[in-house]
Amino acid sequence: MSRVLSLRPSYYEALKRLTLELVGINLGANHPFLIETRLATLARKEGFEDLNTLIDELFSRGQSRLAIKVVSALLERDTHFNPDPLAIRQFAETIYPKLLGDFPGETLRILSFGCSSGQEPYSFAIQLNKLRQIYPNTRFDVTGIDYPSPALDRAGRGQYTHFEVQRGLPIRDLISYFDRHGEDWVVKQELRNMVTFKEHHLLSNLGELGQFHVVIFRNGLSDYSSAAQVRVMRGLSSIVVAGGCLILGTDDETPKLSYGFEEQANLKGVFMKPKKATEDEIQADAENRIVRPTVAPIPYEPQRKTPVNRG
Amino acid sequence: MKTCLIVDDSKMIRRVAGRILQDLKFESQEAENGQQAIEKCYSRMPDAILLDWNMPVMDGLTFLKTLRQTPGGEQPVVVFCTAERDVSKIVEAIEAGANEYVMKPFDSDIISSKFFQAGLLS
Repeated sequence: MSRVLSLRPSYYEALKRLTLELVGINLGANHPFLIETRLATLARKEGFEDLNTLIDELFSRGQSRLAIKVVSALLERDTHFNPDPLAIRQFAETIYPKLLGDFPGETLRILSFGCSSGQEPYSFAIQLNKLRQIYPNTRFDVTGIDYPSPALDRAGRGQYTHFEVQRGLPIRDLISYFDRHGEDWVVKQELRNMVTFKEHHLLSNLGELGQFHVVIFRNGLSDYSSAAQVRVMRGLSSIVVAGGCLILGTDDETPKLSYGFEEQANLKGVFMKPKKATEDEIQADAENRIVRPTVAPIPYEPQRKTPVNRG
Repeated sequence: MKTCLIVDDSKMIRRVAGRILQDLKFESQEAENGQQAIEKCYSRMPDAILLDWNMPVMDGLTFLKTLRQTPGGEQPVVVFCTAERDVSKIVEAIEAGANEYVMKPFDSDIISSKFFQAGLLS
């Protein structure tokens, strides 16, 4: 049985243009039914009579807040707990110990860029909390940012369905870090205190968020237009401290330009930002580069022309 | 091919789980209760067991405790697959030797996620 689409066809193209202009993402092959389903839910929630009324309002009045909500609804991703086990293992076994050595005594700041409904930042916070058994007295904070959306609101509440908590979350972590509330499971306060969620336009200036030792941006870069990719990567490069790193998805394509990062051959999807050398290190490096004679210099003698024996 | 024993008194659950396991490239066997499951394990120890809690003859918890005391019975990855959602029940299952725990209803994503965590899938 075919389903009847309710949205006027011209609105599809308009929504695609809006998404590209506002957040730099190509909706591409997203099926009209998916667009309709997501926007119909938003229309109901926002109190509109139907989907077309929502879109009429959007394009006739040009409400930027509504535009963000529409685009966020269109881009909402289905995320899991521990969405990339290899990335988390590399973080726990290699990246975190290195950062602790390179930034002794500092609170390590981790950013989940485009965190959607929050499973990724909570997964990293759980991992970091477990690592305290190996590295006691370490301090960290995890921040998740995304466009304002119902998904981000849910991340802040830390409330997940029976299905969501069972995708990727080991049962021991579920009972250690969550409480059962009726049919749902809610993140315990102890874990929620480790994670902060913020509404943020991902293409805007990221500087106000401060500097981070690790930025996690998984499976998102390829969705952006070429121009937006450059903007995103430059923005991320500006907020990663020298010596920190960017974690892309282990299946993500490598960015075409380096943006000041160095791809790590032994760590899939990890890009380190080289630590700036201190004055002492620069001096030591310069000293090492000077070739010093180990024997007394040979006195200069004008070169004499010697006959060449051609025999 | 890895093997999985589905232990559930519901024929429908066994059929649904069987299809999921087929998609995950597992060879599956079935048992209607803990007693039948123990006998199947004596003849051939599976790599994994999907285990219901409430069953006639022998329940899932009694089966699990018996299995873990059987020579070779420490090997299978046991995933409790039950409607029981109380934290106290989950803790009881883990203490009895369950590797993972699935709350019904479940889907293929959940089963594959649990098998992946248990190292049965890569």
